[in-house]
Amino acid sequence: MEAPPDNAQLLSDCSPYVKFAKLDEMLALGRANSLWPLTFGLACCAIEMMAAGASRFDLSRFGAEVFRPSPRQADLMIVAGTINKKMATAVKTLYDQMPEPKWVIAMGNCAISGGPFVFPGQYAVVEGVEKLFPVDVFIPGCPPRPEALIEGLLKLEEKLTGKRRWPVVKSE
Amino acid sequence: MEPAPTPPPSPALPNALAHLPIPFQAVDYAAKGYHLDATVNPDQVVDVVSLLDKEGLALDTITGVDWMAQGQMEVVYDFFHLSKALRVVVRTRVPRDNPEVPTIQKVFPGANWHERETHDFFGIRFLGHPNLTPFLLPEDATFHPLRKDFVS
Amino acid sequence: MITKEVISPPGAPNETFVINLGPQHPATHGVLRVKIVMDGEYVVRAEPICGYIHRMQEKMGENRTYAQFLPNTSRIDYLSAMTYTHGFVGAVERAAKLQVPPRAEYIRVITSEMNRISSHLVWWGAFLLDLGGFTPLLYAFDDREKILDLLEAITGSRLTYSYYRIGGLYNDVDDDFIKGTREFIAQMRPRLKMYRSLVTDNIILRKRLIEIGPISKEMCRKYGATGPVIRGSGIPYDVRKVEPYSAYPEFDFLVPTCEEGDSMARYLVRMEEMVQSLRIIEQALDKLPSGPVMAEKVPRVLKLPAGDYCYAVEAARGRFAVRIVSDNKEIPYRVKLRTPSLSNLSLFEEASAGMLLPDALALMGSLDLVIPDIDR
Repeated sequence: MEAPPDNAQLLSDCSPYVKFAKLDEMLALGRANSLWPLTFGLACCAIEMMAAGASRFDLSRFGAEVFRPSPRQADLMIVAGTINKKMATAVKTLYDQMPEPKWVIAMGNCAISGGPFVFPGQYAVVEGVEKLFPVDVFIPGCPPRPEALIEGLLKLEEKLTGKRRWPVVKSE
Repeated sequence: MEPAPTPPPSPALPNALAHLPIPFQAVDYAAKGYHLDATVNPDQVVDVVSLLDKEGLALDTITGVDWMAQGQMEVVYDFFHLSKALRVVVRTRVPRDNPEVPTIQKVFPGANWHERETHDFFGIRFLGHPNLTPFLLPEDATFHPLRKDFVS
Repeated sequence: MITKEVISPPGAPNETFVINLGPQHPATHGVLRVKIVMDGEYVVRAEPICGYIHRMQEKMGENRTYAQFLPNTSRIDYLSAMTYTHGFVGAVERAAKLQVPPRAEYIRVITSEMNRISSHLVWWGAFLLDLGGFTPLLYAFDDREKILDLLEAITGSRLTYSYYRIGGLYNDVDDDFIKGTREFIAQMRPRLKMYRSLVTDNIILRKRLIEIGPISKEMCRKYGATGPVIRGSGIPYDVRKVEPYSAYPEFDFLVPTCEEGDSMARYLVRMEEMVQSLRIIEQALDKLPSGPVMAEKVPRVLKLPAGDYCYAVEAARGRFAVRIVSDNKEIPYRVKLRTPSLSNLSLFEEASAGMLLPDALALMGSLDLVIPDIDR
C-alpha cells in the first residue's frame, strides 16, 4: 500500500494549475475584473467616457465595458461631469440605489472639486462629489483623456485586489 | 493675400421695416451685429412683437439686463429673419423695484422658456405667462442670480 | 403614421398616467428630465424640465475678463467647442474693431468645420444607439478619433479646445496638420458612402424615422429652431449664408435642406452637412493664405466701448449668438449666450403630442440635444 500523499508536495505540484485563496480575495478578483459601470453622463467628461468605451480605447479590454442603464445592476458609478444643486439629490438617489459593494470614480475636475465653475459667489455647483458620498478614485483633467479613465479603473482594481494587473507605463 | 474686401457701409443705413409703426433706429451691422433697434414702452411690447411676427421674423431670444445704478431693468427681445440678413432688437425698460412686462408667449410660443429663464435670472415678471416657475434654477429657488446686488 | 386617434377614438374612456424620464436616462443624452403624461403608449403631454446641469456660464461672464471667459466658451456645447469660442471672440473683435488676419480666419473655418463633422459623428452614433443599433457608434467614434488627433496636435486638447484667441489663434497650424487633414478628407468621403449603405438605406431605420416627428416651417419660426432642425423642415436658414461671417463667403458650399420635416429629414440634412463641411475644408486648405495668425496690437487689457454687441455663428446644432453688454470696463456688464439646443428643444412639447413614446424619443434624438447647451 502506497504512503498517503504529502500535502505540501501535492500543493506545489498542482500550483501551476490550481490557485488557492481566501474567498474574499477571489471575490475581489472577480469584482475587479468585471466592473459594471452605470451609464451616467453629466457633461463634457461623459463624451470622453463614451470615447473610452468606443472603438479606439475599448474599455472592454479591461472588463469594464458593461455599461448598465439601471443603478440596480451597476457596481461602479463614474461621476463624469458637473453636479449642480438641482441634480445633487438625483445623484445621491442613484448612489443609494446601487447595491453593495459599490465604488465611485470621480472623473474630471468638476466631480473632484467643482472645477472651473467654482468662483466666489457661485450659486449652483456642488463643489465635489465627495460632499455627497465617498469616492474611491479621483481622475483629474478637464476633461480627462480616455487613457486617464482606464488608468483610474486600473487603480480601482488595484484597490480591490491589492495587486496591479497591468504594468505601469513609464515616460521615456 | 489681401484681406477679404468688405463692402463699404452705405451712408444712409437702410431700415427694411420702415413701413411698420415701430420707432426703429438703423444700426451699423458691422459694428454692432444687428440691423434695427427699437426702444418701446412695456405696454407696447405685445403689439410690436405681433407686427414683427406678421413680417415673418423668428424669435431669437429674450433676455434681461440689470441697470442697477439707474434703478431699471431692461428686457431685450431679439429677432432674426429666415432668409435675409435682418436682425431686429426690441428693448423695453421697467422699474427695478416692480419689473413687470406682458408676456409675448401667445404670439411666439417659443418665448415661454426664454421668459421663464429671464424670470429666473432677474425676477422680471411676465404678466399672463402660464407657468412662470423656476426653469434653470431648482424648483424651490427664490433668488435671482443675475441681479447685480445678488449675493449667494 | 399611427396616431392616438386610431387607437383610442374621441369619447373613449381616458386614463392617463405620468412617467418620469430622467434626469438619468440613457435616451436623454445627459441630464434632461421629461415629465410625460401618457395615455397607454401614447404621449399626451411631454414637458421637458431643464436646469439639471445649469453651470452659471452667464454669471461667470460677468466676473472675469473677456480673455478669461474663453475656456468657458468651449464648455457650453462641448461637442462643437470651436464654433462657440468663435461666437464669443467674434463679438469681442466686433466691439474692439480688431482686424483678424486672413490666415487665422481660414484656420478658424477649417477647425470649425472639422469640429462640426466630429459633432455630427457623435450625434449619429448616439442617435442610432437610441434607436437600438450599437455598431454605428463604433464606426462613428473611429472616424471621430482621427479628427480629434488632428485637432489635438494643434490645440492640445481633445474636446475643450479654447483654440481661438481674441484677435486670432493660439498658434499656427503646421504642415503635418495640413497633410493629415487632406488624408482625413480622402478617408472620410468613402466612409460617408459606407454609412449610407450601412445605415441610411436600412429599412428598419427608415421605418423608425420616416414620417415620425414632423416639424412644420411655422413651428420652427415660432420657436426659433435653427440648424439642421429648421433645414430639415425645408427652410434654408444657415448663419453662414444669411449673415456671413469669418471667411465663409469665400467658399462654395450648399445648404442642404429637406422638405419633409420628419426625423429622417433632419438625419439626411446632417449627413449631407458632413459632405459639405469636407468641401469647405478642402477649399480652405487649397486657398490657405500665409501670414500671421494673430492681429497686431491686441491690447493686453481689453476694454470694450460702452454699448451692446452681437455676433452669431452657425454651430453644429444651429444658431449660436453672443450678446455682450459693455460699460467700458475690463469685465463685461452682461454676457448673454443664445444657444440653439434650448430653442430646438422648446418645440418638443408641441411636436411630440400624440406620438408613441419610442417615436417621441426618436424625435428627441433627431433634435441633437446637448444638455449643458440648454442649461448653460
